[in-house]
Amino acid sequence: MKPWSVERRQEVGPLPQILAILLALCGAFAVSAALIAVAGASVSRAAAAAWLGAFGDARAIAETLLQATPILFTGLGVTLAFRARLFNIGAEGQLIAGAMGAVWVCMLVGGGVPPAVLIPLVLLAALVCGGLWGAIPGVLKARYDANEIIVTVMLNFVIFFLLAYLLSGPWRDPASFYNQTPRLPAAARFPELIAETRLHWGFVLALIAAFLVHVFLWRTALGYELRAVGINALAARYKGIRVARVTIVTMAASGAISGLAGAAEVPGLHQRLVLDVSAGFGFTGIIVAMLGRLHPLGVIPAAILFGASVTGTSAMQVAVGVPVAINQAIQAIILIFLLVSDALVRYRIRRIGARG
Amino acid sequence: MRSAETLLRVEGITKRFPQALANDGISFALRRGEILCLLGENGAGKSTLAEILCGACRPDAGTIHLDGTPRVFASPKDAIAVGIGMVHQHFALVPTLSAAENVAIGTRSSKTLLDIGPITRRLEELCAQYEIELDLHARISQLSVGEQQWVEILKALHGGIRLLLLDEPTAALTPQEVSKLFANLGKMRDSGLAIICITHKLDEVMDISDRVMVLRSGKVVGLVETAATSREELARLMVGRDVVLRIENRRPPPGAKLLDVTGISVLNDEGRRAVRGVSFAIRRGEILGVAGVSGNGQKELFDAMVGARPAVEGEIRLDGEDLTNRSPAYFAERGMGGIPDDRIHQGLVMDFRVDENLILGRHRHRPFAERSLLRWKMIAGFAHGLIRDYEIVPPSGASVARVLSGGNLQKVVVARELSQTPKCLIVSQPTRGLDVAATEYVHRRLLQERDRGAAILLMSEDLGEIVNLATRIAVLFRGEIVGEMAAQGASIEEIGLLMAGVRR
Repeated sequence: MKPWSVERRQEVGPLPQILAILLALCGAFAVSAALIAVAGASVSRAAAAAWLGAFGDARAIAETLLQATPILFTGLGVTLAFRARLFNIGAEGQLIAGAMGAVWVCMLVGGGVPPAVLIPLVLLAALVCGGLWGAIPGVLKARYDANEIIVTVMLNFVIFFLLAYLLSGPWRDPASFYNQTPRLPAAARFPELIAETRLHWGFVLALIAAFLVHVFLWRTALGYELRAVGINALAARYKGIRVARVTIVTMAASGAISGLAGAAEVPGLHQRLVLDVSAGFGFTGIIVAMLGRLHPLGVIPAAILFGASVTGTSAMQVAVGVPVAINQAIQAIILIFLLVSDALVRYRIRRIGARG
Repeated sequence: MRSAETLLRVEGITKRFPQALANDGISFALRRGEILCLLGENGAGKSTLAEILCGACRPDAGTIHLDGTPRVFASPKDAIAVGIGMVHQHFALVPTLSAAENVAIGTRSSKTLLDIGPITRRLEELCAQYEIELDLHARISQLSVGEQQWVEILKALHGGIRLLLLDEPTAALTPQEVSKLFANLGKMRDSGLAIICITHKLDEVMDISDRVMVLRSGKVVGLVETAATSREELARLMVGRDVVLRIENRRPPPGAKLLDVTGISVLNDEGRRAVRGVSFAIRRGEILGVAGVSGNGQKELFDAMVGARPAVEGEIRLDGEDLTNRSPAYFAERGMGGIPDDRIHQGLVMDFRVDENLILGRHRHRPFAERSLLRWKMIAGFAHGLIRDYEIVPPSGASVARVLSGGNLQKVVVARELSQTPKCLIVSQPTRGLDVAATEYVHRRLLQERDRGAAILLMSEDLGEIVNLATRIAVLFRGEIVGEMAAQGASIEEIGLLMAGVRR
């Protein structure tokens, strides 16, 4: 006879959920610490270096928030789509589409316009291009019931190779040895938020986006429809919600927000479009959205945590010689712990025959 | 041969869920060769008790003795091993396999190759013993719901059980199938099998059981000999107050023709015609009851009547206006309301709050939205009013629909639809799975709507419900209306034959 059984819990409040996330993070940190120890470094020195690197001073915090900016955008894009039960795995491609749109506008307009004109244009172009790239799987889903997971993943490859083509030919900087665009006009660069750091107003824009997504989901009729479709598309359809329209609009909006990440990265920060413009921000966005429990405001601390993971691990590499690759290991460990904690929140393990 | 020997003794069974105490110290004994009906409202704890007895759920406290031996079940397998089998309301059969094969895959065998011969022979014996008429070689998909139920029962019998648990066995049967089932169950009882039958239909209890155990709020409130009780007493025990079993229905004379459906055909999900050229008209203040076993086109007819499924032929006119193949939103705007039979999947968004569910469909309209922004204060006030009027429990618009009981979920759907004062109401199985009190409530509301002047199309498998409420009755069989008659003086026998496809 089996001594244990698994039962579904009836209802779970918000407090246990937050507690479960915190516990999952503790567990993930413990395993990460073990990894560091196995790598032969002092865990306490590594932890101290990571903390100082991520939050040690204003400059460190600025760098952490800078790293958080693109994944906050992609995390919000993913949150929106997942809320409608549209598994948009294409934030990576939508980010690239947004970056390409932003760069294209810069090249069209040139350096002769002031930032007050160019930056709004750059943002608009990123929104439109990211949105269009996201709308494609939305239309295919609404029209032909094409699985959005497969379509978005495939479109990631399509846009990546389109970018590779542009960088090796039409958009390539003739003066450079590398496959990259020429330096973009300085007017396109986002103004810095804290003097003497790289942190720019893109971060504030991302915070505003989080707030707007929150308002959209819980204060507007369309947001209501999006959530209804996500939970029960059948009932939504019976009550007159046009599911196809919601699907297309959601995917477009999700892509547009991810596209903004492209604008914040390229004209906003790096000034050149390169092949690895996204360090997997689209995929990290999925983890960040899950960590934020698909709540736009929950995505903010999640994105900052993952930004800190980037700055913290690079500081760790400098201080104790643990390779930065540990960053990806830590992120993966966090995801695994999150999934486990989610299962444990929803279900409980019980001993059979135990008294009540 | 009937013996008075005790087979099952249950003592102090208690099961607590976070929301409620489902079973509270339940004790009873069951004899061999006895049919015990387990009667109670929804949420009274009937299903929980059955789940505990068949090993699907473990009690927090209490003991189960079978033949004097204490038993603890870790899974239904353990219960089957000692001779307790359960037939659930929803069958677990493979539609592409035959009855015999379905029984075979349920039996554990160490052999790689399956020898269907002995199993078929054993099933033939069982069919002969209990006079069950069933083609063991037919595929499940070719069998009627009643026959599929027999396959489930055979599955249990094949395991050599001593106690058979049946959960709402008559829910999807025609009246004729019900009497056949009862006759066969009687034979099983006479051969020494103990049967526990869960139901909330009082007539069935009186027909079939030797004793009745009534549960209320997880407690046993009565355990009586059927011969020594009455339907009224059982209803009182079940609800805790006097209940009007047969609602008084004056049937006022109907008004002008409102809904006119001519020759509509509707395809099912497989693209076959599930509704074939159906025509009917409903006047204001009239209820047209559509009787029929489910699967005869009710779902597709419902969908077409609320705009959720196109009609490939024919016309739907409301007050003269052609609504055919307009969107669900357009149907609703013109005054068509719909209460679907599957409230959890078609009617509600279970992870939405109750107030969010109450405005579903009107979330874009004033006063709930202004310039596409939701106005939560208006919504909360509106929800509060409906929750009070319909006595929805828990009485808070902020609770998630998921935590509500079936009866309260149905109240949310009914409240939402009726609050729009529809001209015409399409209703499917409005009381399926509801207890006596909630059923009485929904029936009253429907009659009120009719008296207000609404035209109502009522589809139900519950013939009693149709005969009670309807002004006229139509019978749907294989997508066609095979008979129509006035409800007053209608013969149940005749309707039952029409439901089974026997034409006069």
